[in-house]
Amino acid sequence: MHNLGTVMRFEVIRTLKKKSFWVMALGFPVMMAAAFGIIFFSNRSANDSFDQLKDEKFSFVVTDESNMIAPEILEQMDARTTPDKTSGVDAVKNGDADAYFYYPADLANGTVEVYGKNISMFDNSKYDSVAKMLLQTSTEGQVDPSLKAIVTGSVKSESTYFRDGQNYDPIKEMIAPGFFLILFYVLIAFFGNQMLTSTTEEKENRVIEMLLTTVNARTLIIGKIYALVLLALIQGCIIIIPAAIGYFAFGDRLNMPSFDMSSIVIDPTRIAVAIALFSASFMMLTGILVAIGASVPTAKEAGNFIGIVMIALFGPLYAFMLFVTDPENPFVRFLTLFPLTAPIPLLLRNAVGNLETWEILAGLAILIISALLAMRLAVQLFRYGALEYSRTLSVKEIFAKKKA
Amino acid sequence: MGKNIIEVRDFTMQFGKTVVIDGLSFDVRRGETFGLLGSNGSGKTTTIRALLGIYRATAGTLTIDGKPYSVEHSAQLGYLPEERGLYKKERVLDVMLYFGQLKGLSKEEARRQSLEYLERVKLSDKANTLLDKLSGGQQQKVQLGITVMGDPHLLILDEPTKGFDPVNRRLLMSIIEAHQKKGATVIMITHQMEEVERLCDRVLLLKDGKAHAYGTIADVKKQYNGKSLDDIFLEVYKTDAAEQEEAYDA
Repeated sequence: MHNLGTVMRFEVIRTLKKKSFWVMALGFPVMMAAAFGIIFFSNRSANDSFDQLKDEKFSFVVTDESNMIAPEILEQMDARTTPDKTSGVDAVKNGDADAYFYYPADLANGTVEVYGKNISMFDNSKYDSVAKMLLQTSTEGQVDPSLKAIVTGSVKSESTYFRDGQNYDPIKEMIAPGFFLILFYVLIAFFGNQMLTSTTEEKENRVIEMLLTTVNARTLIIGKIYALVLLALIQGCIIIIPAAIGYFAFGDRLNMPSFDMSSIVIDPTRIAVAIALFSASFMMLTGILVAIGASVPTAKEAGNFIGIVMIALFGPLYAFMLFVTDPENPFVRFLTLFPLTAPIPLLLRNAVGNLETWEILAGLAILIISALLAMRLAVQLFRYGALEYSRTLSVKEIFAKKKA
Repeated sequence: MGKNIIEVRDFTMQFGKTVVIDGLSFDVRRGETFGLLGSNGSGKTTTIRALLGIYRATAGTLTIDGKPYSVEHSAQLGYLPEERGLYKKERVLDVMLYFGQLKGLSKEEARRQSLEYLERVKLSDKANTLLDKLSGGQQQKVQLGITVMGDPHLLILDEPTKGFDPVNRRLLMSIIEAHQKKGATVIMITHQMEEVERLCDRVLLLKDGKAHAYGTIADVKKQYNGKSLDDIFLEVYKTDAAEQEEAYDA
């Protein structure tokens, strides 16, 4: 294709030179870093607060009708005891003590009452923490560790599933093919608008006529699409690389779940299907968005259509549970095979592993045919719509011009 | 190499039910300056767009150097469209390089020609400026520079002086004259009859997609009893002019 490389290079370089690209490209990782930063600092300050709490010194009085609090602990903490609840509360009111804790006889049905001298909204919680800590510390040695684990729900379990006699972990199998679903979502969220407006700039700037004498409409559109794909890959790297570095470098300090990468199940067939579905979906959507952009005169008017396309495309996400639990439902099948809604159900169901072979083949065929038709329509609309500088082409006009 | 660089035969263009050009035939000879005349909506721009492959003709053939136009011809073509503009958010030199490369020049050659042209029109200090930071007149100069990049042997200029200030109009005329001297073929689509009389060898006057006068300026004048091109134009379009006057009076 004559001049394809020149078009692609120009489109990529000029986009990379735009500040808006970098604001968008870096915005996501920066936001992620900011979110992790907040988690990190809030975790650290929470831990610090807890450590401080344990060392907190304040005077308190205790009434223990439950007989669960160990007297030696109270002694260690210089706590006073009183058999009378009223005198304990009065001690706080009069300033004789900073806090008073009342433990009822029946801890299962009663309520531990905490009274304290006001410090501040957040610091007041330390009284409650110390009251609970007293109970935990006093009973720790009295309860069997296994019983404690059962009661607190901290019993560890490990499940192993079999499918066709082989070990099977649906979650781990889902990760690799599911990555393409997330990638598709992120790329469309970032580039949807750019795809839609990729041809309107030429139209708005009246540069199209000069351009069409030096490069075929088809080459120009394909060059733009390839450039978008390349930019999408760059964007993907900008997101993935810092996220990966962040995970491996700071994962422990962010309290992120440790994940053994080697345990990810690599199912070559499902990954190959995911790549094929992702590529066909991306090309189809690009074709549709470029076609819409080519039929309208300005980026502003093109923007009116993005919402409709996005609703059709991402609307199926609301039926997420249905795709997972009831794949044979006719509604699920319809969404899976209807061109505009197909990408998400196909990628999701492939990740979950409930996509049947005939559905894979039919879905791929539908996406590829739709992608080719959308690209062809995009070129056609671009050829004729490009010279309509001030108005949107009607469907009737498009076909009339096509015949001409 | 034949005598004619452009040959149009039985060219018809129809959009839906509207016939814009109806069986038009004409030739443009190698090395001549040819005027394509007619009022707005007469089919001049449509003819050029079809000749350059932007529109697909409903019927007939349009050839340049014996072949239908393809982008491979662009190396030898300098086209200044009626609707003109450039990538406004890009730097002057980047845009010139892009179009130079699309026309088949190497990056180095496109850079050399661009810088040489910018130097000639006193815009060399603007090479790295964004186009939308230039004045309208400066942008027109850049547009002209792109049109003549690669030293084309066929210049097609659609309403070339439209919107040009007097300085750029003079620049355009000197560019046309320089290319005429080098033996280039020039097609001018215009309403400016004094420019046609001064620059063109032959003309084609279109009305409603049909040829109403075609030949050398002397032949056309002879055909209309020695009238000036302005008067010939008015005579061909007298019905339209009368209708417009009546409508205005009403």
